[in-house]
Amino acid sequence: MESGLNQIRPIIQVNDLHKSFGTQEVLRGITLAVESGAVVSVIGASGSGKSTFLRCLNYLERPSSGEIIVDGETIGASAAAPGRRAAEPSSRDIARMRSTLGMVFQQFNLWPHMTVLGNVIEAPIQVKRMPRREAEDLGRQFLAKVNLLDKQNEYPAKLSGGQQQRVAIARALAMRPKVMLFDEATSSLDPELTTEVLEVMRDLARDGMTMLVVTHEMGFARDVSDRIVFLHAGRVEEDGCPAQVFNAPLSERCRQFVSSALG
Amino acid sequence: MFAVLQGAFDPALFWEYRVTLLIGLLQNLSIFAESAAVAIILAFIVGIARLSPRRALSWTATAYAEFFRNTPEYVLLVWIYFVLPLLLTKLVGMQVKFSPHLAAVIGLGVAYSGFMSETVRAGLRSIPGGQTEAAQSLGLSSLTILRRITLPQAIRRMLPEVINQLVSLFKATTIVSLISVQDIMYQVSMISVAEMRPVPLYTGAALIYCVVIIAATQALQALTQRWRTRGWA
Repeated sequence: MESGLNQIRPIIQVNDLHKSFGTQEVLRGITLAVESGAVVSVIGASGSGKSTFLRCLNYLERPSSGEIIVDGETIGASAAAPGRRAAEPSSRDIARMRSTLGMVFQQFNLWPHMTVLGNVIEAPIQVKRMPRREAEDLGRQFLAKVNLLDKQNEYPAKLSGGQQQRVAIARALAMRPKVMLFDEATSSLDPELTTEVLEVMRDLARDGMTMLVVTHEMGFARDVSDRIVFLHAGRVEEDGCPAQVFNAPLSERCRQFVSSALG
Repeated sequence: MFAVLQGAFDPALFWEYRVTLLIGLLQNLSIFAESAAVAIILAFIVGIARLSPRRALSWTATAYAEFFRNTPEYVLLVWIYFVLPLLLTKLVGMQVKFSPHLAAVIGLGVAYSGFMSETVRAGLRSIPGGQTEAAQSLGLSSLTILRRITLPQAIRRMLPEVINQLVSLFKATTIVSLISVQDIMYQVSMISVAEMRPVPLYTGAALIYCVVIIAATQALQALTQRWRTRGWA
């Protein structure tokens, strides 16, 4: 990539991100820029820090140091003047930033006491103060997008895992996020249910949604991503287009991982 | 044998004192209702505070719960009725005195708020953390998450335990006679002094309590039935 001055501003810019749990350093300086509309898959072995990285982006984990800039806005540690201790970001700033990043979890995490539609409209009503009627129209629109409009009045417990995950995707989309983060969204699903979720994710990618996808689905990563980032021991070990990362990786570790993952 | 049983149970004697006993029962009921309200409100505040990420707050709340959970109700009652007014009088330089009724409500209320805060905390902790994370990731504030996501589910899980604790609280209202609240036990002891027949009177009191508590438990369960069996899950 050329380092021109006239580049488009990335929607997410991460600079030298570190995260430690106690004495264990999980992220050891990650720098990454994601352009608007790009689909970036983050791959790597268990414990390589990929989920932690994603969770740091929306502050579900507090980064130990480093800078995260979402759509031009800096949150957290870097906000302080040089030489001064960083001010803690306010919970309001964090909430505002979070609502621009949609997140989909491995365990779906739907709210069981609300209907499918109730799950989808909760955040628009509570966070954006959207009138209920308007939120319901919006919610149905996104449920239709994930092919679950007919389940809008069911409770999550009545749905299959794949259906629950699609509701979770609709719930995240209803906030009209600028970026969607997928944290192993299909890892707890049976193979046949995985397909329906990946199909929805493919649709999103086609629509031009910016996506950061932590995944073990190498086929999906290869077919859908514009870019693959391979993490190893908390660092970016390889970063490139799918063809390069899968066929001609520069790093030996990445080559080993890819060849064992593709089988 | 029969004579002994007859001596232990004498409905006619109770019928004779029905008005006095009813007034006593109403005292029990009103102290129960008021102290239950105090206990439940404090329990939610303390139980939620115990889960706060702010150390000072959660630590204070834990100390509060541990103190009141581990101090006998009777000692609390006596302390609040006799000792606290003396301290307050010195503090504000003005005569402070609690009525037995008020002291009973405060004493039982704080004592049971300690137990119930544990139930509130456990109920909230039983909601999977992922649900909170999902809510956070959508930008919901902590207060909204409590109000809309965790509490509605937690309360449902707390209900059986809270009903047990309310039954204990009702039973505990019998000790208020010791700080001269004129409840059933107080009335019964007065009557038994006048009648010199403690056996049927105290046996009868035990039966009255048992019947009232069974009825109240059934009523509480019926009231919460709809809530506990709502459609989801």
